[in-house]
Amino acid sequence: MAIASEGRGSIVADGLVKTYNGTVRAVRGVSFSVAPGEVYGFLGPNGAGKTTTVSMLTALLQPTGGHATVDGLDIRRDRTAVKARIGVVFQESTADGDLTGRENLELAAALYSVPRAEVRSRIDGLLERMQIGDAADRLAKTYSGGMRRRLELAAGIVHSPRLLFLDEPTLGLDPQGRAGFWKYVLELQREHQMTIFVTTHYLEEADGMCQRIAIIDHGSIVATGSPNELKDRLGGDIVTVRPTAPNPALAEVLARVPGVTSVGAQDGAFRVKCANGEALVPEVVAACVRAGVGLQGVSLKRPSLDEVFLEFTGREFREDEGFSATDKAVMVGRVREAFGGRR
Amino acid sequence: MIRQTLALTRRELLRISRNPQAIVTALLLPILYLLLFGQALNFGTLFGGNPAAFVPYVRGAPNYFSYFSAGMAGFVAVTATLFIGANVIFDKLFGILKRIASTPASAFSIFGARLIAGSIQPIGLAFLVLGLAIGLGHLGLSGLTVTAAVGPVAAVQILLAIVILSVMFASLFLAIGFSIDQPQTYFAVVNAINLPVLLTSAALYPWGILPGWFKAVASYNPITLAVEVIRLDLFSAAPQYYPYSAWVYLLGLLGWAVAMMLIATVLAARALAPKR
Repeated sequence: MAIASEGRGSIVADGLVKTYNGTVRAVRGVSFSVAPGEVYGFLGPNGAGKTTTVSMLTALLQPTGGHATVDGLDIRRDRTAVKARIGVVFQESTADGDLTGRENLELAAALYSVPRAEVRSRIDGLLERMQIGDAADRLAKTYSGGMRRRLELAAGIVHSPRLLFLDEPTLGLDPQGRAGFWKYVLELQREHQMTIFVTTHYLEEADGMCQRIAIIDHGSIVATGSPNELKDRLGGDIVTVRPTAPNPALAEVLARVPGVTSVGAQDGAFRVKCANGEALVPEVVAACVRAGVGLQGVSLKRPSLDEVFLEFTGREFREDEGFSATDKAVMVGRVREAFGGRR
Repeated sequence: MIRQTLALTRRELLRISRNPQAIVTALLLPILYLLLFGQALNFGTLFGGNPAAFVPYVRGAPNYFSYFSAGMAGFVAVTATLFIGANVIFDKLFGILKRIASTPASAFSIFGARLIAGSIQPIGLAFLVLGLAIGLGHLGLSGLTVTAAVGPVAAVQILLAIVILSVMFASLFLAIGFSIDQPQTYFAVVNAINLPVLLTSAALYPWGILPGWFKAVASYNPITLAVEVIRLDLFSAAPQYYPYSAWVYLLGLLGWAVAMMLIATVLAARALAPKR
């Protein structure tokens, strides 16, 4: 992939690779570019390589191969400068529970060298905006999950970064907390034209919040585009036909139904693509009856990112599909250690 | 960098002050030693009940308890700094260290702040132990008797002994904390270090009864070096009991602290560098 502009507010990754312990290939040469002011989503199940990619882009992890720039700075060479220009909200709750909300933000302001004269007004503004002003002088360990996330977001933007990295930011929040968090993020993005790179395994979040999405699976990007572009690539609605017994010949029967654009097999069922699924369902059922094929079920799906994921990876999206690369690396390390090998 | 170091130091001190159980745990062992070990080993009953006869065995201290109290003031630097290393492990587990490492703060600031906080904390506790040891004497128990006129120089020397010993142990525990990821492993390693270090020092034993080889080992123990400074300044001991001045002991202690600090700095920088 050609490298796009490596300027202010942009992210450009070219063939990024990360291999743990020489064997676990967490990220396998991902390339993408994020434009200034864009909300870019990295969508994939657990263990797909999302967090590893964020860790490399935020200069916390050394890539095994490839090249990337953040805000025009090389992530290997200009580590400290990269860190100064970005904000990060991690998937773990990293607010310091033994400090108050205000003290957490004061610490963040000092670490990011926010001018002393501006610290108080910025913190007051952020506390108010995130609706934690009333709890500002309470210890963060007394906050609810949603309040902590908003505090962590405030800590991530206290220095007004051009780019904000959000790694599974709404993990563990209830739907109300997730909606609230995204409301603040999108407000900030609109007001400050901040570039936002977000990883998520919530399909609806990626669909509703991101301008563009990369679908990552097993360490590789399998598709990129806007949510609508990706859905359009599916070629319309999808009717899933599940026969009572495996019947490979049914594919031909279905392909002959007028209006069908393609037929694909998946786990004993058939995915029939068409422009108008509602109109096609009776036709499909009739064709099966004519062919003497018993049906277990027929379902209709409008294009969704779930379908997009299935289309590009050949399997359904599972939120808790597998171990993350970090988990695998730790396990490999422990096995080696147990057998006296080199880590 | 100074602003970042100070901000992180403030964080550490706030966390310590808001977790009194850590302070209580740090004081528990030295105080138990004072109340049980120090009271039980009533060496004054030896030599026909003439405590003065025991003075040469405790390097000029008026009695064993006074000698022992100075040892506990030094030991508290070990028990108090232990938590600063444990905090590193918990910060790793909770992702807080990763968050701090994601900011432009340097590894030097992240390590230095913990070292400063860890070295400040035991000062008050060491003086609390000395105060308690004096107080016990007023309750009809064995107590600390100060026989020297403690002037400003002596006070500074005692303070330096506690601070440098704390720097040395805070560095050691930080080095372990940055190198280990699991709390249970940390506490196992620390316990494997604490007791042998205490037991090979002159904090507990009357110096005069120690065999030559033990004296040779104990002479270089950092706890011994700090405790000897405290004893030199609290007791008006005859010159033959201590071959060197307090400044020499402090210099030896400083050597330990610098060496340990260098090792810990390298290990902390390695732990905070981007993972490969």
